[in-house]
Amino acid sequence: MASENRTFLISFVSRHPEIGVLASFLSIALIFIIRVPDRFLTLPTLYSILTLAGGLGVASLGVAFLMIAGEFNLSISLVYAVVPMGVVFMVDLWRVDMLLASVTMLAVAFGIGVLVGYITIKTGIPSFITSLGMMMFLRGILLAVTGGFPVRLEEDHWFTFVLNGPVGELGLRTGAFWLLLLTIIFAFTLDWTPYGNWTYSVGANANTARELGVSVTKVKLINFGLSSLLAGLAGLMALSRFKVVDPTLGQGLELETITSAVLGGCLLAGGYGSIIGTFLGAFLIAMTNVGLVLAEAPPYWYRAFIGIILIIATIINLFIVRRYVTGG
Amino acid sequence: MCNKKQAGSVHAELEEKLQQAGGATPTAPEYTFYYVSHGGPADPFWALVTKGAQDAAELLNVKVVYSAPEEFSIHALVNLLNSAIAARPNGIILTITDYKALDQPARSAISQGIPVIAVNIPDPRPEDERIPYMSYVGQNEYDAGYYLAKYLIDKGYKPKRVVIGDHQLGNAAHAMRSRGITDAIKKVYPDVPVEVLDITSEPAKAAEAFKSYLTAHPETDVIYTLGLLGSHPALQVLREMKLVGKVHLLTTNIDYVVLNAIEAGELDAAVSQQPYAQGFLPVVFMYLYVKYGIVPPPHVPTGPTIVDKTRLETVKRQIATTGGA
Repeated sequence: MASENRTFLISFVSRHPEIGVLASFLSIALIFIIRVPDRFLTLPTLYSILTLAGGLGVASLGVAFLMIAGEFNLSISLVYAVVPMGVVFMVDLWRVDMLLASVTMLAVAFGIGVLVGYITIKTGIPSFITSLGMMMFLRGILLAVTGGFPVRLEEDHWFTFVLNGPVGELGLRTGAFWLLLLTIIFAFTLDWTPYGNWTYSVGANANTARELGVSVTKVKLINFGLSSLLAGLAGLMALSRFKVVDPTLGQGLELETITSAVLGGCLLAGGYGSIIGTFLGAFLIAMTNVGLVLAEAPPYWYRAFIGIILIIATIINLFIVRRYVTGG
Repeated sequence: MCNKKQAGSVHAELEEKLQQAGGATPTAPEYTFYYVSHGGPADPFWALVTKGAQDAAELLNVKVVYSAPEEFSIHALVNLLNSAIAARPNGIILTITDYKALDQPARSAISQGIPVIAVNIPDPRPEDERIPYMSYVGQNEYDAGYYLAKYLIDKGYKPKRVVIGDHQLGNAAHAMRSRGITDAIKKVYPDVPVEVLDITSEPAKAAEAFKSYLTAHPETDVIYTLGLLGSHPALQVLREMKLVGKVHLLTTNIDYVVLNAIEAGELDAAVSQQPYAQGFLPVVFMYLYVKYGIVPPPHVPTGPTIVDKTRLETVKRQIATTGGA
């Protein structure tokens, strides 16, 4: 009986990498609920967290998908800035319609991702390096084009409302719906479609996947492209809200998205991870940001706190993987 | 007699320079100066500094090599300074972002005969202890904060609660500005709470940090930001929460967004430390020293200049010509 229970537990936990982050998530939330119940358990706070999680989360979904396929893409933090910057230039200088400009720049973003993937696969250089190079290259292009000055979207367009406009008076924004929608789509794709299976198998063992007839190159290229595309979309969400793009936009996003993914149960080595977990990871980071201010924590402590949470959540994940997945 | 002759030759050379600047065939740069700073070109403030330095370089036919770490890093700054010294330039213009870390390399440059001018951030120690640079070109950061806060107090306004949004926690210049703001308020109203908030340089995070703070402390009626990366999201939050006019917003550094906000009455005032001048002037002073032996004064202030509605027109001209203020 006990052994049956254990078998059930093993299979349940190994199929749900988000267990670790859920535990961290609930305990952190509990701290805030106890500490500042009147401020924390309100709709504006929830909306604030969702808004903050929106951009980070959308970018993290792509990063997680790619990590499960066994690769990194650090250049997403620059794609996050380049896409809205390109849209502003097209709209303000050439009077292109914002929708058309956005679609064009998202296609460019997808192309950049595929290019990073192509270089990675063809040369065998780790994607950590190729995408780092692309990140520096794009930063240089961005600086050369803008001269370091912020650019401003001059006119309001209906598309900015679609991407990240206000809904009601309490701080809810359409960006939150994008995050929820994309989380559902990607979670479904990962766990219920053949493409999701290919992604897992490519990340777990590329050679085995190839022998089973999976096109490793194609799967990886698409995932590289998707990570870049989603980062671009997240950048457009930031533009839609602030109407200004500073050339520093997105600095550090490459690591924060990896943080969300790792918190959410993705392994750095690939082959294992969760989209729901990544969503919770981004939500956890946003919640900690908002909660610490509400709880009047000293400003200097926030980063230390995130660091501790990351390490604890990773320990939980590692424990689960060692114990239940690899059977060690 | 001798003086007259010198003055004459100086005059002739200046004329020659003016001709060169006027489009005559450019000759090889006369001198090479290194401008070593903590501010990467991605920061709009430093983009202006860079522009000022390059404009001066072109005018004087000298070469200015601007070098700065891409992201804020004292360690990288020290490395860049060491590389600059190794290049043996005719002069080094340097931000004393961290006087402890920069003390040894800066002194070594000076002892090797490379003149050094400090810019943007001075060595805060007493004169006999600090790095023996020739001059400091820039504002006093403490004053910038102090006068920005004093502006509101002088108008007879008594704040209930003040929050300072810092987008680069750990930057000594920001800490000094924050202290200036705090002191100016506490001097008159010792009981008014003044707090620093870590907003990070990511706009979405900054916005939600301000929102959460305003939720936790609804009595907050004054926000100070320490740069464009703080004022842009703060403006957006005040608009979203419909607090424009109820919460006063004041900031350091200016661009079009800030200027428009002052015009629209969304932002009370901004303090400028004239980044363009902080690029331009040290190059000129270095040139005058290297070429003619003119020793610059120990401190050349470039600010603080308070910009509110009454000064908008002048500042607009400045922004149109230099890109910012």
